[in-house]
Amino acid sequence: MYDPYAALGLNRNATEEEIKKAYRSLSRKYHPDANVNNPNKEQAEEKFKEIQQAYQQIMREREQGASGNYSQGGSGGQGNYWDFGDFFGGFGGFQGQGRASGGDEGSAYQQAASNYIRSGHYREALNVLGSMKERDARWHYLCAIANSGIGNNVAALEEAGRAAAMEPGNPEYQQLYARLQNGGSWYYDRRQSYGSPILGSGDFCMKLCLANLACNFCCGGGGLCCGGVPYC
Amino acid sequence: MFGYIIVNKPEMKFKEFDLYQSYYCGLCKALKDQSGRRGQLTLSYDMAFLILLLSSLYEPETQLSCQKCVAHPFEKHPARVNQFTAYGADMNLLLSYYKCLDDWEDEHKLTRKIMASSLKKSFHRIAAAYPGKAGIFQENLGRLRRCEKENSKDLDEVSGYFGNIMEEVFAWRKDEWEAGLRRMGFFLGKFIYLMDAFEDVEKDKKAGSYNLFLEDYNREGFGQKVEQALNMMMAECSRAFERLPIVENTEILRNILYSGVWCRYEYVKKNRERNVTDV
Repeated sequence: MYDPYAALGLNRNATEEEIKKAYRSLSRKYHPDANVNNPNKEQAEEKFKEIQQAYQQIMREREQGASGNYSQGGSGGQGNYWDFGDFFGGFGGFQGQGRASGGDEGSAYQQAASNYIRSGHYREALNVLGSMKERDARWHYLCAIANSGIGNNVAALEEAGRAAAMEPGNPEYQQLYARLQNGGSWYYDRRQSYGSPILGSGDFCMKLCLANLACNFCCGGGGLCCGGVPYC
Repeated sequence: MFGYIIVNKPEMKFKEFDLYQSYYCGLCKALKDQSGRRGQLTLSYDMAFLILLLSSLYEPETQLSCQKCVAHPFEKHPARVNQFTAYGADMNLLLSYYKCLDDWEDEHKLTRKIMASSLKKSFHRIAAAYPGKAGIFQENLGRLRRCEKENSKDLDEVSGYFGNIMEEVFAWRKDEWEAGLRRMGFFLGKFIYLMDAFEDVEKDKKAGSYNLFLEDYNREGFGQKVEQALNMMMAECSRAFERLPIVENTEILRNILYSGVWCRYEYVKKNRERNVTDV
């Protein structure tokens, strides 16, 4: 089996820092710009591509490892330069099967929306969902995923919360809601590890800060070059 | 631009701060060289962050020089200049120009109109050099304007248009890091828009101008709601950052992403709390 770590000369226990450093030094060595006069420049380019892919794969795997199991999420969403679904590890194995609730019109719509989500066409999924009148927990769940897919993270969290509240016993909904909430909590913890930007400093200092910041406003008129300290 | 993307200086080492400052000085110099003294007035720390980010990601050849400047006529300051400084200066001017026009239309501040016309020449040069980007800025500013007219309350939609603009600024070229940079820019843009709306809500209420938070402002839990949204935006932005293979200047960049961007927020929040207790 292909091991992306081996391509970077690392083992699986490498820290993120080590991975980045290994990638950097190898990419400097094999970068096309550094091999213009190399007689084996095609090989170098091959190698360059390989380490790039290895790096991306490792980063993807690590993120998915941290956020649950992975099934191939949507890819190739139109007009998206990134694929949000990919960042959510394919939504922890989003299967997208509509509920078999008697094959009524609603479930046919939901099925269509699921299909769009699975192929990464989140906007189309939202269009279909928007045209439905009946809005059950599943509807909110799909809405959450599609919104997350196009970067509407506030709406995604709200919808996931609604789905989870409507059907508290559904693990799929709970899992999505928890994951979207966790998306912010790791950041919050890290943010707390820095000293508070304001609380430590006195009043005078704060005023100075603001005066300095104001100078840096667009067209603020006072934006002098190298305006001293950005704030105290 | 806005001045939200700054460092938390007390949490920084002197050496790191000097390095950060040297990119800022480089930006100032590039603005002057490319767009004259008028252009220099648009200088902002927001763009210094982008320059530092791109420089750390691509590790380009960088010239270090010592500069005297208007602000510091007697002491020399190190300035770092590379290809991203030139790019950042152009983007800074482009955004500033649009923002001036916007402020003129919104608030009819004559100073902004004068400022905009003084930047016009540079604007046309840059818009011609980056036609795709200028077009996207204009398109999304138009959408923002429509949201304001319709009094939209859709957090994601409104802030997303500004996100689209910042995304375009961050996407320096088409390569394997474009997606990550776009993602960073998009969520940072959403953060900036929401932060700006949060800061201006009282002012806009008095003036009767549009603000995303006008209705929510006096509701229970408003502060919590805003902070959660801001936190989510920075979480997505920082997650994309951590995926990039950056090994240089990481302490400075993380200081900004995890702490510096909250300086203004904390300040505004604390000020408001104090005003409430005063009454």
